[in-house]
Amino acid sequence: MDDTVRTETAKGSPTMGIAAAIAGWLIPGLGHLILRRWTKAAVYFLCVGALACAGLAMRGGVFGSGAEDLFDRLGFFADLGSGIFYFLAHQFQPAGPDVAHATGDYGTRLFAAAGMLNLLTVLEAYDIGHGGESK
Amino acid sequence: MNGLFGYFTHFEALVFFAAVVSITFAFLSKRTNIERLKYTFFAFLAFLLVAIGIGWLMFPFSQ
Repeated sequence: MDDTVRTETAKGSPTMGIAAAIAGWLIPGLGHLILRRWTKAAVYFLCVGALACAGLAMRGGVFGSGAEDLFDRLGFFADLGSGIFYFLAHQFQPAGPDVAHATGDYGTRLFAAAGMLNLLTVLEAYDIGHGGESK
Repeated sequence: MNGLFGYFTHFEALVFFAAVVSITFAFLSKRTNIERLKYTFFAFLAFLLVAIGIGWLMFPFSQ
């Protein structure tokens, strides 16, 4: 079960790295699950999922792809990093965002942080899948 | 879910953010569980202390 046990890991390859990265982006933790890093997969899914769900529950804003402002565009890429949570944001948030209140503003930041955090886990999944990580 | 997170104060949101991000960083950067536990603890404390410190530094500008 321990992530540090190297023998559980499938042999790395560029294809495996890319597949793990795409899977990890779509569903946080799935990339690590494919690579048999059970604990990391569960922790990343729970942490990214908790941040994203909290952000949406606080009625934070979700940036769309049509943004013209540079900061909105950066916000879009950050939000997109959370994968399935971005695509299902409207299901989680039927009342829509409310950034006129401070709580909604915090929610916007939490959701963006979830996306950025997931992108870090995607990089790690790629690294492990590629065979470049030894832990 | 709205009831659980919808009424977070700024400080509660900060504590929640600090806890979740500290745990993720610990798993990203440390190998053993004991190292991860220590890292989570210190990163969590650092998040809180830095945020409260910056809050105090900005306090005069709010007057």
